Amino acid sequence: MLLQNKVALITGSSRGIGAATAEKFAAEGAFVIINYLINTVAANDLVEKIRCAGGQAVAIQADVCDLENVHSMMATIKDEFNGLDIVVNNALKHYSFNPKTRKTAELIGWSNYQDQLDGSVKGTFNICHEALPLMTLQNWGRIINISSNLVKFPLIPYHDYVTAKAALIGYTRSLAAEVGHLGVQVNAIAPGLTYPTDSSTDTQNDVREKIIRMTPTGRLTIPTDIAGTATFLASNLANNVTGQCICVDGGLVMQ
Amino acid sequence: MFDIFNVPANIRFKDFDKKVYHLDNETYQLRYPILKTSDIKNIILEIKQNRLEYLSQLPISNVITIIDQAITRWTDPSYPQRQLALKLLPVITDYDAETIKLEIKRFIRLFRKKELFRFIENELPQSEILDDFHPQRSGSMVKAFGPEATFQVFSGNIPGLQIWSLIMTTLVKSASLGKTSFSEPLFPVLFTQTIAEIDPQLANCMAIIPWHGGTVSLERIATENTEATIVYGSNKTVQSIRPLVPMSKIFLHYGYKISFSMIGKEALTADLYTQTIKQAVEDVAIYDQQSCLSTQAIFVENHGVITPIMVAKMIAAELANYQTKRKRASLTIEQSSAINRERTKYQLENINGVSVQVFTSTQNTDWTVVYHASPGFSSSPLNRFVHVFQIDHLEDVNQYLKPYQAYLQSCAMAVSPTRLFTLANQLGEIGINRVSALGEITRAKPGWHHDGHFNLLDLLHFIDVEPNAEQMSEKYDPDVE
Repeated sequence: MLLQNKVALITGSSRGIGAATAEKFAAEGAFVIINYLINTVAANDLVEKIRCAGGQAVAIQADVCDLENVHSMMATIKDEFNGLDIVVNNALKHYSFNPKTRKTAELIGWSNYQDQLDGSVKGTFNICHEALPLMTLQNWGRIINISSNLVKFPLIPYHDYVTAKAALIGYTRSLAAEVGHLGVQVNAIAPGLTYPTDSSTDTQNDVREKIIRMTPTGRLTIPTDIAGTATFLASNLANNVTGQCICVDGGLVMQ
Repeated sequence: MFDIFNVPANIRFKDFDKKVYHLDNETYQLRYPILKTSDIKNIILEIKQNRLEYLSQLPISNVITIIDQAITRWTDPSYPQRQLALKLLPVITDYDAETIKLEIKRFIRLFRKKELFRFIENELPQSEILDDFHPQRSGSMVKAFGPEATFQVFSGNIPGLQIWSLIMTTLVKSASLGKTSFSEPLFPVLFTQTIAEIDPQLANCMAIIPWHGGTVSLERIATENTEATIVYGSNKTVQSIRPLVPMSKIFLHYGYKISFSMIGKEALTADLYTQTIKQAVEDVAIYDQQSCLSTQAIFVENHGVITPIMVAKMIAAELANYQTKRKRASLTIEQSSAINRERTKYQLENINGVSVQVFTSTQNTDWTVVYHASPGFSSSPLNRFVHVFQIDHLEDVNQYLKPYQAYLQSCAMAVSPTRLFTLANQLGEIGINRVSALGEITRAKPGWHHDGHFNLLDLLHFIDVEPNAEQMSEKYDPDVE
C-alpha cells in the first residue's frame, strides 16, 4: 500500500473530489481525516463507508477560512495522531460552474474575487500555516493544493475563481521553494472540469460536450482521476517532486 | 407514498398494492390499485362520458393550447413534477440519471404548440375539421372524428415516450385509457397531473393505470369497450392483444423494430472522423439501445482515411468513455447471458477463421463491438452491443438488409448530399421509414410517420356531407326564395 500508516488531512472532503481522494487514501492504508464545513451527514456517511471497506477515518468540522478553527482542528490532530503527514487543500468557497450565469468582467465585483481568494488561498494558507510545524518536526510532509486547468486555459472565464486558483499556483511554488529542504514537498493538481461534483452539476451538457470534443482522451475528468494523481503526489513514488502542477484533464492542457 | 395511477375524480378503488424503491435515505412507495374487470368498465364509461360532455366540444386550438401549457411547465427545471420524474425515473428504470434528464428535456420539447401544429398539418388539410364541417376541394363538407376512447398499451423501455401516444389521441379528441408498464409507470401519470392542473375537465378524459401485461380479463374488457387500441412493446405483447380486438375496431401496433446506421467514406476524413465516431456511439448508447430507434448495426464504408476496423476500435474506445460518463443500466441475468452468448459465438467464429473480431469491456458486459470484415447484417442483443460491417459501397446494403425487411425501421446516415436521397429512396423500397442524421437516431421529430404510418389519420374517421345534401337542405329553409 502506498500510504501505509500516513496521517492525511483532506479539506472539504465530505463529497466530490475530496471524498474520492479520502476513499483512495484510506484504501492505500492512510488514516484519513475528513474535514468538512457543513455537511455532517455526508462526512459521517463517508467515514462509515471507509470503515466498512476496512479503512480508517474520522470527520472533523472546521472552517478552513478561520485560523482559530484550523488551529483547534490541528491541535486535535496533534493530540489524536501525534503528527500529520499529508494535506490535500481541496476546500473551496461554494462555486457553481454555470457558464450561463457566470459574472462577466463588467458585472463582477471585488467581493467575488475576495470570496474566492479567501476560499482557495486563505484557506490553504491557514491549513499550511498550522500543518507545517507538524511536518517539519518529522522532516517529512506532503502538501497537495487543488488548483484548476482554467488557470492555463480559461475556456470559460470564471474570473474570480480562475484568479484565486492562479494565486494558489504562486503560493504552491513559493512555499515549495522554502520548505523543500525541510522534507516537505508542495505540489498542485490542476483538474479539468470534473464531473459529476456538486460544483459542476450546473455545467450544461452542451458545454461539457464542447470540452469533451477538445479533449484528447474524449472524456471529462471524474473525481477518482484526481484521487489517483493525489495518491501519487502523496506517496513516495513522487519523491523529489515539488513545486509542480499536474494537469488531470485528459490532455486538454499540455505543458 | 405516491400514486402511479391517475383516473377521473369519480373513480374510486378499494384495494391497492405497492412497489417500494429506496433512494438515498428516502423510501418511496408507489401505490397502484388492484383492478377488477368492472373497474376497467367503469373507467371507460366515465372517460367516455367526460369526453362527450367536454373534449368532444373543445375546439382543437384549445386542446393544443392546454397541451402546450403543460409542456411549458415541464420546461421549467423547478417544476415539481419534473423534479420528481428526474429523481425517481433513474431509480425505477436504472437508466443513467443524466441520460434521463437530457432526453426528457429534449423529448418534451417535441410537443410545444408549434410542433403540435406540425403534427396536425402534416396529416390533415386543416386542423378545424376536428371541430366542425369544412368544405373540401371535392365540394363535400367534411368533419373528422376520433375514437370515443382509445386503449393504449404503453411499453416501459423509454421513459416518457408514452405521452407521444397520449397526446396524439387527445389531439383527435379521444378519451384515453393508458395501461402503463411497471418498468416505467410514472411519467404519464405526472403528465396527466399537469394537464389536471391546467384543465381538470380534460384530465378527466384520461385514465392511466398499471397492470401486469397479459392479464387477459382486463385487456379484453379494455379492447371491447373502446373504439381503438394502440399497442407499444414487444411482438409478444402485440400478439397477445391482437386477438382481443374486435375486427370492426382500430388496432395499431408498434412492435419489435431494428434500426441501423450507415457511415459513408466522406464522413471518415481526417477532420471529421472523431466527430463521426462520437455521433455513431450516441445512437448506440442512449437508453442502452432499448428504443426501437436505436442503432443495432453500423455499415462503415471503405476508402475513408480511417478503415472500418479502426472505426470499430474507436467505437469500442468511445463506448468505454461513454461508460465512464454515463453508466449503462444494470442487467438481468437473462440480458447478460444473451450478451455473453453472442460474444462467445463470434469469438468462436474468429477462432474458426471467420473474419470477425470482438472488442469488449473487460470482466463485464458494459459494451461490445463485433467487427465483420465481410458485409452482412445482424441484430444485437442490445444494451450497448453493436455490430460493425465493412462495406465497399453503401449502395450495396439492400441485399444484406432484405432478410430483416419486416423489422427495419430507422437509419442514421452520415453521407454527402449527392447520396442522401438516392440511399433514402433505396431504403424506402425495402420498408425503412425514417432517415436521421448520425447521432440523432434516438430522437424522432414531430410529424414523423411512426413506423411508416400516420399519427392521427389512422385514428380518425370522416364524414362527408355531399353538395347535393346541402342543396336539398336549402330547399327546406322556409325563408328561402
